[in-house]
Amino acid sequence: MALAKVYDAATVFKHLNGIINVYKPAGMKLKHVRNAIIGNIAKGLNEMELREPRKLARDTPLLGTGTAADSVLHNIASNTDLSDHILAAGPRYMPRDVRCATVATLGDHTSGVLLFGINDGLKQSIHIQRNRPIRVYHVTARMGTATENHMPDSRVTVRANHRHVSADRISGLAASLQASHQRKMYEMCGVDLQTQAAYELACKGLIRPADNSQPVLYGIKLIHFERPNFTLELHAINESEQFIAALIHDMAIELRTVAHCSQLRCVRHAHFDVTDSLLRHGWHLPGIVKNLRRQREILEANPQLLEQERIELHAAS
Amino acid sequence: MFSLWLRNIAKIQNKTQIGTKCSIINQQVRQLRTLRSVQNEIQVESAEQSLPQEQRIKSHKEIALDFGNREAHVPSFNLAAHVNNSTTLQQFISLGVDLHSIERRKGLGDFVLRLDFEKDVKPYLRFLADQGVAPDDFGRLITKNPLLFKEDLDALQTRMEYLESKRFSVEARQRILTQNPYWLMFSTRRIDRRLGYFQKEFHLSGHDIRLLATKEPRLITYNMDHLRKSVFTLREEMGFSSKELQTLIVHKPRLMMISPDDIIERFSYIHNEMGLSHKQIVQCPELLASREFRLRERHEFLKLLGRAQYDPQKDLYVSPSDMVLGNNFYFVRNVAKSDLQTFDLFLKTR
Repeated sequence: MALAKVYDAATVFKHLNGIINVYKPAGMKLKHVRNAIIGNIAKGLNEMELREPRKLARDTPLLGTGTAADSVLHNIASNTDLSDHILAAGPRYMPRDVRCATVATLGDHTSGVLLFGINDGLKQSIHIQRNRPIRVYHVTARMGTATENHMPDSRVTVRANHRHVSADRISGLAASLQASHQRKMYEMCGVDLQTQAAYELACKGLIRPADNSQPVLYGIKLIHFERPNFTLELHAINESEQFIAALIHDMAIELRTVAHCSQLRCVRHAHFDVTDSLLRHGWHLPGIVKNLRRQREILEANPQLLEQERIELHAAS
Repeated sequence: MFSLWLRNIAKIQNKTQIGTKCSIINQQVRQLRTLRSVQNEIQVESAEQSLPQEQRIKSHKEIALDFGNREAHVPSFNLAAHVNNSTTLQQFISLGVDLHSIERRKGLGDFVLRLDFEKDVKPYLRFLADQGVAPDDFGRLITKNPLLFKEDLDALQTRMEYLESKRFSVEARQRILTQNPYWLMFSTRRIDRRLGYFQKEFHLSGHDIRLLATKEPRLITYNMDHLRKSVFTLREEMGFSSKELQTLIVHKPRLMMISPDDIIERFSYIHNEMGLSHKQIVQCPELLASREFRLRERHEFLKLLGRAQYDPQKDLYVSPSDMVLGNNFYFVRNVAKSDLQTFDLFLKTR
C-alpha cells in the first residue's frame, strides 16, 4: 500500500477511526489523558489545510439596509460568507467533535498501556471490552512499610522488619495464590476440579467472567527481587488498582511483614503491547495517526480480538 | 406541535376554498411561517399551488422582506450571525480579531456588536499605533480585551504618560502594551500602587522594577490575592532569603504566576530529590518554571545513566539549566548523550 502525504484536515478526520494505544503516565488521571489526546487531535487538525469559508447563494436578497456600508455590499458581491470565517464561527475542529472512550480503565497511580477507541473505533473498543481480554501488570511492592491505601503517596501506618523474606518464599506464596484462584474459578463454574467436566471446560480455553464485576486472577509470578522491593507479574481480568494493592498488602501479611505498591504498570492488554504504546511526547496528530495504523495491523492480524467464540463465559455468582 | 397546527390551518383553507375570503388568516399564517426556517418556506409554496403566478411572486417578495425584519428581531446564537451585516465586525475580522472567543465571555458579544468602527474603534487603534504597537498585534489585543474601547482616550494618554514619567523606555512601553492588553485598563493610581508593592516587597531598585514590569507585564495586573500567596510560598515555605528572592523574581517573574501548589511540588523535588541548594536554584530559575513530571523523568534518566551530577566543582558536570532546556530530543542528544530509543524504553518502565 502506497502512503501519500495528506495536508487536508477533512481527509485526516475521515480516517481517524480505530484504536490507539497510549502510555498513561503514573499520577495522571484518566480524564486528563483523554482530554490531552482529544485536545491535541483538534489542535493538529486546525493547523492543517482547512475548508474555505463557504460562498453566499448568488440570488440572496440583500439583507439589511446597506446604505452607509460599502464594504458590506462589497463583501456580498465577492460572495464570501464571512459568518463562516474561522474567526467568526470558531475553530473548524473542536475537542468535543472527536469521540473517544477507553477500552478499560486504569487507576490514577497505574501507568502503562491504555487503549482508546476513537470515532468509529468506539465500536471496536466495545467489542474488545466484551471479550474481556487479559491484562498483564508488573507490580512493584516495597516491603517494610504499610500505608493507608496501600499506595506510596499516603500516610504510613505500620512498619515491619523484612529480613526473613526471601525470593523463594514469595515465589511459593505466589504459586499457591495462583492455584487457589484457579480452583476458585472452577468452583464458581460449579464443577469439581477432579472431574471430566472440569477437563472439558479447561479444553475450551480460558474461563472468563461474564460481567465486569468480579476480578479474576490467572497468574502471579515473581520476576524480580531486590531487598526492599520485589516485582510481581499479574495476569488478570476485571482487576482494579485497589484490588491489586490489597492483594500486595495481603501477600505481605502472609509473608509476616508489611508492604505497599510502589509502582503499578500495565504492560500488555490483549495483544496490545507496551512497545507500541504512545509516550507523552508523541501525543500529537501525526503520532496518533501512526499509532492508529499500527493498532489496526494488530487487529487485522488477530481478528479474534473483535469477534471471539463464546468460551464458557460463566456467570459470576 | 406548532407545525402541526399550521398544517391543519392550511388544510382547512384548501378544503373550504375560502382562502380569498379570510385573507387576514392567510397573512397571519404566512407571517408565522416566515418565523420558521427556510425549509418550511418551500412548504408554503407547495401549499399555495392554486394561487395565480403573479400573486405567488408577490408573496415570495413579501417573504423576502419579512425575512429582513426577522433578522432584526430574532435573537441570534452568536456574533457570526451578524458578520455579514455589520461593517465593524467585518473590519474586526480583517484585523484578525477572534469573535468566537469574544462572544464566549459574558456581555462582551453584546458590547462588540454595538461598536461603530469609525467612531468607537478607529481612534483607539490610532492611539495604539502611535504608541508603537505593531498592527499585526491589534487582532490579538482586541480579542483579549475588547473593553479597551470603553475607556476614555484621555485617560489612556495619561496612563502612557505615567509610564513615561517613570522612565520606561519607548521599547518597554511598546512591549508592555503588546504583551498585556489589560494594562491600559488599570488607573494610574492602581498601577502605581502595584509597582510600589513589588518595589517594597522585594526591595527592588528603579531599574529592576522596570525590568520586571517589562519582562512580564502581565504580572503587574495579575490577581493580587494570588500574588500574595505566591510570595508567601516563595519566602516562607521555600525559605529563600530576600536577596535570593530578588534575583529569582527579576530573572523569572513568571514564577509568581504559577499556582503555589505546583511550585512547591517542583521545589520539593528539586531540593529534596535532586539535591540542589537554594543558591543553585537561584542561579537557574528555569528549573522552577519546568513542570514536575518533566524534571522527574529527565533527572531519573540522568541518574540511570549515572550522569546526574550537578556539582560544578566535580567532573562530568551537567548544568541544571541545560537539563530543562529544549525538547526531549535536544535533551537526550546534548545533555544525556544517549539516544531517543533508550529514553523511550526508559519512560516505558515507569
